[in-house]
Amino acid sequence: MQAPSWVQDVFENYLICEFTSIDNGKPVTFPLLFFYDNNSAKFTVTSSILFSRKIEHMKKNPKVSLLFSNPEGSGVEKHVVLVQGVAKIEDSDLDHGWERYLPMWRKKEPYIDGFLAAREQFAWFWKRIVVEVEPKKILAWKNGDTSKAPEAISL
Amino acid sequence: MEERRYFQGAGGNQPLTALELVDPDRLSRFRYGIITWIDKDGFPFSVATDFLLSENGEILLKKPNTPQAMMGARIGVLFNHITGIPTGGYTDRRYMLVWGKVSEDKGFLKLHPEEISEWDEKILPFDKLCAAAVPQGKKYLESLQPSIDA
Repeated sequence: MQAPSWVQDVFENYLICEFTSIDNGKPVTFPLLFFYDNNSAKFTVTSSILFSRKIEHMKKNPKVSLLFSNPEGSGVEKHVVLVQGVAKIEDSDLDHGWERYLPMWRKKEPYIDGFLAAREQFAWFWKRIVVEVEPKKILAWKNGDTSKAPEAISL
Repeated sequence: MEERRYFQGAGGNQPLTALELVDPDRLSRFRYGIITWIDKDGFPFSVATDFLLSENGEILLKKPNTPQAMMGARIGVLFNHITGIPTGGYTDRRYMLVWGKVSEDKGFLKLHPEEISEWDEKILPFDKLCAAAVPQGKKYLESLQPSIDA
């Protein structure tokens, strides 16, 4: 991806994105923790089976978007970036498939290990589906000024 | 994070006012909204924008500059809050997701709410949210059963 550094900063430092799936033509948006792989330029979110309606939506329609608009807690300036992409669902190993993202998760939420220690208490929360998103189009509003036209970012 | 409270208007010819669906006190604690609709290519299109509440409880969204038209479309507007923790992570999670349509109004986009879904961890702690979501987890596991049996 040939994104300018301020867009890369957003992908590498923002804690959450606003993730949208489509439910029978209706956009459904929730704040989600995300992970960005700079090498593959793909985004990953994970979802507990407890909150898996969005996964059901994506199995019917894999078109999704991730908006990065909230710099809270990230230490970087506010910019707004929209990523539209196609979601691929991986739910063959609910107990361990998501664990490869733990190092990135721990970096964003250092206290996650305390929560993970109570894994038996929250057993179904830790049954997690992995969603990998391949970007198809990226638009970005520098300094978060969405009254101006967005800049298209080359993939 | 998923819904704590969900409400849908009865529909028909009587449109709901914003005040009938959305608690203005809770809404006023959010700083901005995220408008999302489905674009001409079938992808969700989201953009962040400021908003204000009129004295009548109308939700007025500042018009963003987007290449995709949202007028006439069914949109969702997410109002989201987290508080970052200096040592990493966040707390004080709450959001409100309102669906409806928008119309032009004095230079703003006026939101006409039809449905709402919201969660505030100070009202419904996360462990209780998880407990309430067990039926959805069970449903998902059951949907995987044929492939497990195969």
